[in-house]
Amino acid sequence: MTTITATVRPPASAGGRILNIVKLHLTNPWTTIILPWMILGFILIANIAIWAIILGNTAPADRADVEEGLGYSGASTYIFVYMMVVAVQAIAVTFPFALGYGVTRRDYYLGTALTFVALAVMFSVGLTVLAAIEEATGGWGLGGRMFTTFYWGDTWPQRLFIFFAAFMFFFSVGIAAAAIWVRWKANGLIAFFVGLAIIVLGGAALLTVTQGWIAFGTFFAEAGFVGSFAWSLVISAIALVAGFFVLRRATPKS
Amino acid sequence: MTAVIEDKVIEVTGLTKRFGSVTAVDDATFSVERNKIYGLLGRNGAGKTTLMQLLTGQDFATSGSIQVFGQSPVENASVLQRVSFIKESQRYPDDFRAKHVFKSAPWFFSNWDEDFAQQLIADFRLPLNRRIKKMSRGQVSAIGVIVGLASRAPLTFFDEPYLGLDAVARQTFYDRLLADYAEHPRTVVLSTHLIDEVSNLLEHVLVIDEGRIIINEDAESLRGSATNLVGTAAAVDAFVGPREVLHRDAIGGLVSVTVLGLTAGERKDASAAGLELAPVSLQQLIIRRTNTSEKEFEVSA
Repeated sequence: MTTITATVRPPASAGGRILNIVKLHLTNPWTTIILPWMILGFILIANIAIWAIILGNTAPADRADVEEGLGYSGASTYIFVYMMVVAVQAIAVTFPFALGYGVTRRDYYLGTALTFVALAVMFSVGLTVLAAIEEATGGWGLGGRMFTTFYWGDTWPQRLFIFFAAFMFFFSVGIAAAAIWVRWKANGLIAFFVGLAIIVLGGAALLTVTQGWIAFGTFFAEAGFVGSFAWSLVISAIALVAGFFVLRRATPKS
Repeated sequence: MTAVIEDKVIEVTGLTKRFGSVTAVDDATFSVERNKIYGLLGRNGAGKTTLMQLLTGQDFATSGSIQVFGQSPVENASVLQRVSFIKESQRYPDDFRAKHVFKSAPWFFSNWDEDFAQQLIADFRLPLNRRIKKMSRGQVSAIGVIVGLASRAPLTFFDEPYLGLDAVARQTFYDRLLADYAEHPRTVVLSTHLIDEVSNLLEHVLVIDEGRIIINEDAESLRGSATNLVGTAAAVDAFVGPREVLHRDAIGGLVSVTVLGLTAGERKDASAAGLELAPVSLQQLIIRRTNTSEKEFEVSA
């Protein structure tokens, strides 16, 4: 063997170690990139078929009415929930794996967060492009709306921002939930959701007692979709920071 | 370079780890020297895995100190980059195929030898394109063994690395480990139940029982430390006298005893007294010194 003279690479720098985690998450891009786009494509095709069927059975006089109704589609929302599940699963399986590779929790978490920010950018750009195509083709030639529904904003910069904020929200909550799972398993998640339910119900009770529902509604109405999604970034940031401290003391269990 | 080479890779002092009321590691103090192969032996639940998780920063000590390469391993990238820890229970990402493991491992181990990895993949006949979820237990173990060997980390831990590997594959592992270790010396800590199989590999033995390090000895001197004496009950009893007997078996009029530390002169006397002397295998010795029945040990193996 002549491997004694083989060049030994120096250990990775801090930035290199974090990028290695990004690469680890994308080693097999099937679950995180390929499958979501395939499912999204399938839903779009199914929707186009449905729109065609509806329009085929609509009297010309009612057409404007139907097209307005198509604006209330929730078809594109699946991808956000799907990607949250992907985030949870990715962390549950790669955390114990990465620690076996001698990765610190800090590097793992920063690399994981960076991975999902990058995925959020990629998916929000993709959805914005699809929205532009949808607009340019008059709703895929059928007046259908999947990526330009009213809650995604009116212009492409608005859409890009809203898509991004929505992805960050679901990723961050997913990452925080996964950190709780990795550290405390099912008991931790149960405690987390019980706590969350108490906070939400307590907030609702408080709004009812103080008759604050109108002010609550007005707040979001005034903030608009863009403003409301901007506020969601605050929640995302809190979830990401909390997840870091939860994961920092987690141990890989088998 | 005038720097003194650090001889101790691991130094553990008064290490204790409790899980609630269970003390998994109990006041352990020992050190591991550079470029030796250590056996970490003990029964199921003795604390082997917990100890290795503490040494690799995967778990947090309740009290005591751990120094790996002179520093605490916890969240310490400069230490952990030199450590590879292959667990029997290692989980792999669900959607991974074996090729994804070998694609990603070199990013984390700067000493990774790709040629060696390819050779090991061939030796173990590992199907690279099969999803890990669909693999047999032995094939999954082979992945860990290959990563542990090809990563050539200065400090490598193997925790029961060969669950489900057949005898041929296990021998391949021992052979490759020894050959590669000879060319690329490094520190290896191997935990196992199959004590006799690895007996010739080990240079130093640590035995842990109920969280305590009960044996910490050079393997060579440990192997020579006990002797089996077989003879008639009268002859055996006359010779043994007040000596400490680790184990005693009687079949009919014949008695077999295990005693510690016979000198050359005493061996001669024993032979003259008509006793038969036989070496004690490492496994038997450890079973006798941990006061567990052989049966128990074999069941857990």
